[in-house]
Amino acid sequence: MIRTASALALVLLATGCGNSGRFVENEEYGTNNQRELILRQTGGSTRDAGFILFGTDRGRDAREGLAASGATGVSVNAYLWRASLETLSFMPLASADPAGGVIITDWYTPPTAGDERFKVTAYVLTRQLRSDGVRVQVFRQVQRNGQWVDAPATGSTGSELEDRVLSRARELRSQTAASGR
Amino acid sequence: MRKILLGTTAVVSAAFGAAVVTPAAAQEAPTVRLGGSIQAYYGYIQQSGQQNDPGTNTLAPGVTGGGVGTTVNGTTAATQSYARLSKNDIITVPALNVQVNGKLANGLTYGGVIEIGFNSIEGRQIGQARASVGRGAAVVDEAYIFLAHPRFGQVRFGDEDGPLGGLMNSGWVTGFGTGGVFGVWENFQTRQAGNRTQTAPGGIGDSSKIVYLSPQFFGFDFGASYAPNYGVLGQTGCPNNVASGYCDRAYAYRGATSVAIPAAGPEFASRRGEYQVAARYRGTFAGVGVSATAGYLGSGVARDLTDANRQVRTLSGLNVWQVGAQASYQGLTVGAAYLVGDFNYFWGNSIRGDRSGEQVTFGASYTAGPITVGANAYSALVAGSSGFAFNSATGALTQSPRGMQRRWGMSVGGNYRLAPGLDLIAEYVHHSIRQQGVDLDSGRAGTQSRSFSDVFIVGSRLAF
Repeated sequence: MIRTASALALVLLATGCGNSGRFVENEEYGTNNQRELILRQTGGSTRDAGFILFGTDRGRDAREGLAASGATGVSVNAYLWRASLETLSFMPLASADPAGGVIITDWYTPPTAGDERFKVTAYVLTRQLRSDGVRVQVFRQVQRNGQWVDAPATGSTGSELEDRVLSRARELRSQTAASGR
Repeated sequence: MRKILLGTTAVVSAAFGAAVVTPAAAQEAPTVRLGGSIQAYYGYIQQSGQQNDPGTNTLAPGVTGGGVGTTVNGTTAATQSYARLSKNDIITVPALNVQVNGKLANGLTYGGVIEIGFNSIEGRQIGQARASVGRGAAVVDEAYIFLAHPRFGQVRFGDEDGPLGGLMNSGWVTGFGTGGVFGVWENFQTRQAGNRTQTAPGGIGDSSKIVYLSPQFFGFDFGASYAPNYGVLGQTGCPNNVASGYCDRAYAYRGATSVAIPAAGPEFASRRGEYQVAARYRGTFAGVGVSATAGYLGSGVARDLTDANRQVRTLSGLNVWQVGAQASYQGLTVGAAYLVGDFNYFWGNSIRGDRSGEQVTFGASYTAGPITVGANAYSALVAGSSGFAFNSATGALTQSPRGMQRRWGMSVGGNYRLAPGLDLIAEYVHHSIRQQGVDLDSGRAGTQSRSFSDVFIVGSRLAF
């Protein structure tokens, strides 16, 4: 009983301290559900597979929206999407379309450079975790005579951000693989 | 579309602890989804326990044939006649799933799962181990409600696995074949000597319970669960006015010692008050994903009423510590886990005075494109068949000194993914049980202290 109380106290203490907890998605837990196991191990998604009996098929909405926009008709890679969001989280977000895989930030002025600002558009292009699955475009403006005017961004900035996204996506995939069985 | 965007933003903001969860969340009407899976496998099996008792065509199936006094290999058996088992079999494992998912405006997500299996022969790894019903009968396996909040974590209430029953374990590498030595090979086995159902996370059983799963803090998340007893679903299991051992809430009953290992039959076991706690760490170091889990599984036991008007505690409660770790890099995953404490095989309760059990498992898998290959193994040393005798007149429990039971198995296997939700599988499993002085093959003359099985499986599985 003492062991139980100690363990429960540990759990309560851990969950009660601070407010920086990250929500753990259902996919991050192991499962003995055969359908879910098979879908996980074969690259399927439990949120898209099966038939909708009642309610809205949000996965289908996303696919159809994507197809209507002339894209490939499949959802984008979840790791690339999450990695892009995290990588660009230091900038204010203007819009993000998880179905189309487009993230557009608002203008952002680095603290050390008050006379220039940046805006980034990231495209997650594929469903697979591939090195060419993300493209990042960086727009730059500089302040001249109190007006913001367009200026070329350093060519490597976009590719460096792409590398960061890919690196983070690989980390997320490794974490997920480590948490699955 | 807007709802999805807002929902995603809510999760991201929760990761930073911002107080914007409520305004950013958007309500989503519940979605009810029907899915399922079909698995079909061919198995080539060589196992001990080959001598069976087939009956004759003049008797009803299952009635002993052959007659008294049949002599085999110079030994006179009681009522057996003998024939070997076939080495070939095909099995089909279908299941249906109903999933409900919804979201409230305050950020609370909710839903539920019902898994209906059509393969409820005893000994299966999933579901309530050793439940005995018609093979094709529909039986609810998992059925639970969940409530989850980005900040407060998740509660699952119903028939579901616990934190150590598969939700948060690390080191059990089963992501290849059908799970290797913890996979579907058991479904090809006959019951002789119990050459299956290892002490694995899925074998604990999804007794009706409540589970709490915390958010992740600095890489750590935590879980705890409590099940009042071994029972499942919506009835107590009591078929009449006498509180027999089948009753979930029976505190003591006649023969409790005999079902220390969960018996063949619906939810008949001495386990009471099962609780699990676990802590898990996940992180990435130089591109290597790491997961480690430490946890504890405990329980009480029902007392034995065999001796009239005396409640005797003959069993030890479950008292099992588990640690495990695994690492993933690119497509490679390696892991190992270790159990130690008071438990017997099949997650059974040990007799008081039995030595504690221990088990180690390890494995590796590698995925390259559509191909996954892997291997895993385990070795356990448990009390096994204790040889206890319960004196109904005095209540005394006596044990015959015996060696420990060694159970071990290994497997190699591979998958080829044809499409999301569909793959082909090939797998080989060897499993062995040894215990000196215990007859593990009652169909053969003399005391057979070893039992083994070799199974080669090819097949396919589809989830939708």
